[in-house]
Parts: sequence; structure tokens; C-alpha cells
Amino acid sequence: MLTAKNITFGYTGTPIIKDISLAIKPGEITVLIGPSGCGKTTLLRCLALLDRPQQGSIDIEDRTFAYPWPPEKEFVPPWPVVTTVFQSLFLWPHLTLRKNVLLPVRLRGTSDGMEKLNELIEAFDMKDFINRYPNEASLGQRQRVALARALMLRPRYLLLDEITSALDVEQISKILDFLKRLRGKDIGIFLITHLLGFARHAADQVLFMADGEIAESGGPEILKTPKTERLFQFLSVVAAAS
Amino acid sequence: MTVFDILVNYHVAFLQGLGVTIKLCLIIWSVGIVGGIILGVAGAYRRRTWGRFIRGMSFGFSAIPTLVVLFWLHYPAQAAFNVVIDPFYTAAFTLSLVNIFGVGESVRQAIVDFPRQYILAGRVCGMTTPQIVRYIQLPILFRQLLPTMLIIQVSMLHASLFASLISVEEIFRVAQRINSAIYRPIEIYTALALFFLLVCLPINLSAAYLKKRYTRDMSER
Repeated sequence: MLTAKNITFGYTGTPIIKDISLAIKPGEITVLIGPSGCGKTTLLRCLALLDRPQQGSIDIEDRTFAYPWPPEKEFVPPWPVVTTVFQSLFLWPHLTLRKNVLLPVRLRGTSDGMEKLNELIEAFDMKDFINRYPNEASLGQRQRVALARALMLRPRYLLLDEITSALDVEQISKILDFLKRLRGKDIGIFLITHLLGFARHAADQVLFMADGEIAESGGPEILKTPKTERLFQFLSVVAAAS
Repeated sequence: MTVFDILVNYHVAFLQGLGVTIKLCLIIWSVGIVGGIILGVAGAYRRRTWGRFIRGMSFGFSAIPTLVVLFWLHYPAQAAFNVVIDPFYTAAFTLSLVNIFGVGESVRQAIVDFPRQYILAGRVCGMTTPQIVRYIQLPILFRQLLPTMLIIQVSMLHASLFASLISVEEIFRVAQRINSAIYRPIEIYTALALFFLLVCLPINLSAAYLKKRYTRDMSER
């Protein structure tokens, strides 16, 4: 299990996320929703051990990262046991999309890389563009490749930041179906998204974040019957916008 | 007397001068590139000490004409230290120094400006620091730096002409001496241009090969 306990993070004394506790279980999909600027990506970066909170602790399986982290102590995150797909994707521009996906897995000495890649090419419909360079592919195509790169590493926890923002409805459906299938492979998925429909149908846990705090959490039913005024307002705005 | 006649009649002198120019450039290029890369890396990782030093020196060498530095090191410096150094070595030292700081500043800047997100992506994919350096940073930096490096090296080749002004028997000085004997400046300097084209041709061909092999437009479309 990936567990965060009372984590607080901010820059120059202003907290962006405040005293957040949550758990991501293997084989479950946790969806994080909330208005822009509420600290969702910051929370994801803390869970991915990219940013170090000022307070609290993060447990990943049997390892504990307690903060504040002592400066003299070596910080060795268990990547890619926990890995992330960033909103901006960060594909390496000098490598083709195929090499982007294969490089990390080859460096880890995994033998079945090609087999797994072919499976993902099929699943994400990437055959037509996998040999292109990142700047020759559309944002939607790059999003699929970035997800494939993470999946190739067989992570135990996969943290995804708005990875379907540039996809069409058909592609969103394919990717989300694939994510649902990953549950069966005991991968814990943490997904920041604005797709409330997906959260309703596939999430095991929904977290609503506002002003740096988890304002409400629970099963997908909280999206139908919110308990807090803040989530109710957010859902009303989203409903009005769509 | 035509350009062809000059090339035929004075080819021995020209080839001797060309030999000195090439020897000078090989020293300047190799010392400049190796020293510049080492200095640039040091400057990127020790920004307050080496970084500031390289920036300052690079600014100085770009602002002060190379010829002035060459004269300083040839006449007043040697007089001050009461030493006599072969002008070839003075020229090699001065131009290598200019090249080191030119290359060093380019390398330092490229490393400092390297997009951190590519390193971050490597980290979360479980890549080690040496793997990130080898497979991500170095190839991208090489592609970024290649055109700048080539321009600097060609400009160093051109700057080697200044060595003639402190009596180095390189090709420009040979051309001047021939001109003082036969006074055919247009033909002689045209012949000189042909020699420079000859030297630049393999550089440009290698540059074109390297660009084709390793660089491509990485901007978003």
C-alpha cells in the first residue's frame, strides 16, 4: 500500500497542500478531482517522491519516508515501483516514440520488452506513429506513449496527472478501459482527472481536493450525493459547464 | 601572373605556410574543445566559483580583440617576465585560451539550461544518474552544442591569421611575403582563399555529416 500521513508541502512558508492523509491500494483506482490550482499536481509530486513535504510521512510498501527528511540522509526513492506520467509528458525529444518506451525497460535488463511493447501498441492503437519522434506526433498520441512508457516498467503504483486531456472520446474510452484492466494486475492507480464519468464508473475511491486539503472523500457515490457544500458547488459548476 | 601561376610557382611556400596553420589549428581545436568541455562542466556544477570565472573570462575575451590579447602576451608579457617564447607557441597558447573560454561558456550555458523535466522523467522510470547522463543528457547536449562548436572552431581558424602579426610563418604571412615580392595582391589573396576553402571543406563535410547523423529539428510542430 502507498500511504500518505499528514503531509504538508509549500514554498517559502505558504502551504500548498495541508495535512493530507490518503491511501492508494494495489488493485484499486483512486481518482483525485478538484478545481484548478488547488494543489492536485503538488500532491501527486509528493506521492511520487519528487517533492519532499515539510511534514508528515509517506509509506510505500515496507519503506517509510518521514519528513522533514534529514539533509545528511540519502534519499533513494523506489522508482519505478512507484512511477508517474506527467501532464506535460516529458518524452525525450531525441528518441523516437518506440525508443522512448523501450529505453528505460532495456536499461533495467528486462527480457520481454518487445513482447510487452507489442501488446501496448495494440492496446493503445499506436502502430501508425510509434516510429515517429515526439515532435512529429499529436498531443493525444504522445499521451498514449507516455502512459505506455510507464506501464512497460510494470509499476506497483502508477500516478497519472491528467493524461487524457488531449484525447478524443474513443481514445479516452480505450485508455480508461485499459486502466480498469490494470486493477486485475494488482496495480494501484492514482489518477488526477476532470472526467467525472470515469470516476463514477471505475473509481474505487474518489478524493475531492480544494484549497490544498482533501475536502471530501469516499466511494464514487460522493459524486452523486456530496456531503460537503464545496463538492456540491464544484459538481454544479462542472455540470453547468458540460 | 594568374592565380594558377602563383599556385604553381609558390606552392612549396604556400604548403609550408598551410602546414603551420593546420598545426596551429589542431592545437587550438583540441586544447580548446577538451579544455572548454572540462571547464564548462565545472562551471555548470560550481556556478558560484567556476561558473562566474568562466562567464567573466568569456566576456573579456569576446570584448577584447584577439589581436590585442596576442600582442599583450607576445610583447609586454614576455618583456615583463624577461623571457623569449617562440611566437608559434604564444599564438597557440593565446588562441587556445580564447577557444577554451568560448567553448567552456557554451557548454556551461547548455548544461545550466538543460530542461530538468527530461532528467525527472528518467528518474521516475528508474534510470540511474549515469544512465540519465549517457542516454538522455549527453545526446541532447551534443545535438544542441554541435552547430555552436563548429562555428567557434571555424572562427578560430580565421583568428589563426592574427598569428602572422607576431611573425608566425603561417599561410597568411607566407602570402604577405610573396605579395611583397611580386605585388599581385588580388591573385595572391585569391590563392589564399582557395587554401582556406580547402581546409574548410573537410570541416564543413564533417559538420554536414554530423548534423545529418545526429541533429534534427526537435521543436514542437
